[in-house]
Amino acid sequence: MSPPWTVKYRPKRLDEIAGNKAAIQQIIDWLDAWGKGPPKKRALLLHGPPGTGKTVSVEALANERGLDLVEINASDKRNRDALERTIGSATRQSDLFGRARLILVDEVDGINLAEDRGAVDTIVKLVQETQSPVVLTANDPWDPKIGAIRNATMMIEYKRLGLRDAIPYLKRICQSEGVQADEQALRLIVDRNQGDMRSILNDLQALTSGRKRLTYDEASWLGFRDRKATIFEALRTVFSSPTCLQARRATDLAGVDLDMFFEWVYENAPRQLNDPRDLSRAMNALAEADLYRARIKRNQAWELLPYLIEMETAGVAMSREFTKPAWVPMKFPERVMLLSRTRKARSVEAELGRSIGARCHISSKRAISHYMPYVRYILDMDPPAGERLVEWLGVTGEVMEYLGLKPTPAEKPVKKTGRDTTKAKVTKPRRRRKTA
Amino acid sequence: MWSEKYRPATLAEMRNQADIVSRLRRFAETKAMPHCLFAGPPGSGKTTAALCLAHDLFGERFMDAFMELNASDARGIDVVRTTVKEFARIATISEVPFKILVLDEADNMTADAQHALRRTMERYTYTCRFILSCNYSGKIIEPIQSRCAIFRFVPLSEQDVAGYLTTVAEKEHVRLEESGLHALTVASEGDLRKAINTLQAGASAGKPIDEKLVYEVIGKTKPSDVQDLLEIATKGDFIKARERLRSMLIQQGLSGKDILKQIHSEILRMPIPEKNKIELIDATGEIDYRLIQGADEEVQLSSLLARLALTSSQKRSS
Repeated sequence: MSPPWTVKYRPKRLDEIAGNKAAIQQIIDWLDAWGKGPPKKRALLLHGPPGTGKTVSVEALANERGLDLVEINASDKRNRDALERTIGSATRQSDLFGRARLILVDEVDGINLAEDRGAVDTIVKLVQETQSPVVLTANDPWDPKIGAIRNATMMIEYKRLGLRDAIPYLKRICQSEGVQADEQALRLIVDRNQGDMRSILNDLQALTSGRKRLTYDEASWLGFRDRKATIFEALRTVFSSPTCLQARRATDLAGVDLDMFFEWVYENAPRQLNDPRDLSRAMNALAEADLYRARIKRNQAWELLPYLIEMETAGVAMSREFTKPAWVPMKFPERVMLLSRTRKARSVEAELGRSIGARCHISSKRAISHYMPYVRYILDMDPPAGERLVEWLGVTGEVMEYLGLKPTPAEKPVKKTGRDTTKAKVTKPRRRRKTA
Repeated sequence: MWSEKYRPATLAEMRNQADIVSRLRRFAETKAMPHCLFAGPPGSGKTTAALCLAHDLFGERFMDAFMELNASDARGIDVVRTTVKEFARIATISEVPFKILVLDEADNMTADAQHALRRTMERYTYTCRFILSCNYSGKIIEPIQSRCAIFRFVPLSEQDVAGYLTTVAEKEHVRLEESGLHALTVASEGDLRKAINTLQAGASAGKPIDEKLVYEVIGKTKPSDVQDLLEIATKGDFIKARERLRSMLIQQGLSGKDILKQIHSEILRMPIPEKNKIELIDATGEIDYRLIQGADEEVQLSSLLARLALTSSQKRSS
C-alpha cells in the first residue's frame, strides 16, 4: 500500500504549493520583516477553507528557511497551562542549537471554550509578547470566540483553489504516478471538492488505485462529500429560498452568532435584492427583526427569538419577487469593520468633544458639530492661530496628535477616554481666558 | 474661540432678548427667582443668559454657588440622584440664599431622569434654583414645566447679529466687508454662535471677509446634511445612501434621532407624489417610536431610505 498522496505529495517548498501565490508572498514579506526585530503584528492568522494550503505553507516555509517549527493543533489539549508549557516557553527562548523558531498554532477556531479554558486570552497574550514569529490558522476567522485573536493578528486569506491552479498540479501528480486522466475528470473532481486540495487528492487516489486511466464517467461515480455549510450558503438560503420553512433553516446553517448573522443579511440584502420593490420589503423585514432584537435585549424576552429569526430569514426570502436571479458575491459586513476601524478615532473625538464642551458650555456631542468644523478650517488656513486655539481648548496629547499637531508635554495626565456616560460631566465656569 | 471671548459677562451686556433680559435683571436685583426653563434655538443666548444671571447675582466669584451640568453628557437618572442632589441640598452662606444649577440641553434627559429631577427640584427649592435650558420645551415633562417660569428665546434679529459681528470684527481688527456682513447675518439665521464661529474661521484666511469667503467657509464647515442623503436615496442609489448614513452615524457621530427629525421636516417638501408623503410620515413616526425602544439606528433609518428609493422609482416608471 502506497502512502496517502496527501502525505506523499505534501509540498516541501513554497513554490510547490498550488495557488494562493499572493497570500504566500505576504507571509514571506512578513517573515522577512522579522529580520529587523518584531514587526507591528507579531502573528499571522491564515484563514480559509480546508485544504487550501495554510498549514502546508507554514511547514514549507520552516523547511526552506531551516526554522525550528513548534506546532500545536486541535488534537492537543489547549488550555492556559498547556499553551504556556508548549508554545509559551517557545515564544521566549530559541532552541538548543540557537536556531530561530517558527510557531504554528493550527485550527484556532477549533478551540473549545469549555475544555480549553483561557486559551483565547493566553494566545492573545503570547502573540503580543512573542520573540519568535507565530502563525495561526483558522477556517472561520469570523467566529466570535476568536474575535480577540483576530484583532491581535494580521489576517491573510487563503482562497479555494480554482481550476487554473489545481489542474496543472494534478496533471503533474498523475504523470508521476503513471496515470492517464482526462482533463474533464480532473475538473469534475476539483469542482466537486470546491478546491479543497486535500480531499481532491484523496478522491483522485481512490479513483485511480489499481488502474492507469481515469475517465469522466469513472470520476462521476464517487459521491459528493457533505460539507458544513458556511455563512455564504446560509445567506444564499436567505436570499433565494422559495418557502419560509426552507429560509428559516438558514440560521442553523450559518454557524455564526445571531447578531453577526443579522449583520451579514443586512449588509448583503441591497446587493442580492436589487429591485427597489424587493429591497424595500426586505429592509422592512429586517427593521422588524431588529425591533424584536431590541425588545429581546431590553426585556430579556427570549421568547420573542423565533420572530426575530423568522423575520430576518423568511421575511427577507419572501421579499424576493422582481429581482432577476444572478450570482452576486457576498460581502463581509462593512459596518462591523467600520466600527472596529474607527474605535480609536471615536474615543479620541469624544475626548475632544469633552474638552470643547468644558470651555464653551456645550455638550460634548454638540461641541463636535458646532465647533470642530471651524477649528479644522482655522488649522488649515492659519496653522499658528489654529494651534493657539487648540491649546486654549485645553486638549491633551492623544487628541493633539489626532488633530495633526505635535503634542505638548502634558501638564495633566491624559484622562481615560472610556465612554463613561454614567459619570457626571460637571463644567464649572472659568474666568474668561484670553483667546487666541 | 471668539464666541467664548466675547460672550457677554453680565446681563447689561446682552443686547438681544430684551424682554427676557429685563425680567432676569429684576431677579438679580431682588435676589429672588423661581426655577426657570429657557427654551429656544441654538445660539440664541440661553446659556449666556444663565451665566450672566449667575454673575449678576453672585458677583465675580459665582462658581461657588453655581454649577453647570450638561444633560446630554450626564443625562442618566443616577446623575440626578447623586450629582444634582449633592449640589442642591447643601445651602450657601452668602447673602443670596440659594445656589443655581443649570441643566443644559435638558430636552435630552430621559423621562425617568426628569421624573427624578422633579422631586429634587421640589425638595431643595429653598437652597437651589434650577435653570433648565432646551431647544424644544415639548420634550420637558409637564410636571417640570409647571414648576418653572418659562422663557422663550427667539433667534436673534439680523440687526442684533450684525451689531455683535461688527463689534467683534473691530476688536479683532478684521476687515469685514459689507457683503460679508450681510452674508453672515443671513446665513446664520439668528444663531450668534454660528455667526461668530464663521467669522473667526473666515478671518483665518487672512484676507478681507466678503460674501464669497463667507460662503466658502460655510460650505467647508457644514456637516454633510440630510438633504444630500435624501437626494441620493431618491435617485435610487440605496447602497450609496446607506453608506452616507453610516458615515454620518459612525464617523460624524450624529444621533439617529436628530437625523430622523430632519428627514421628517424635509418629507413634505420633497418632490414625490403627495400620497406617498403621508406613508413616509407614518413610517417616520413608527421609526421614531422604535428608536425609543432601543432599535438599531442605522437599520431602522435605512429601511426608511429603501422606502424612499422605492417611492421615487415608482414615480419614475409611471
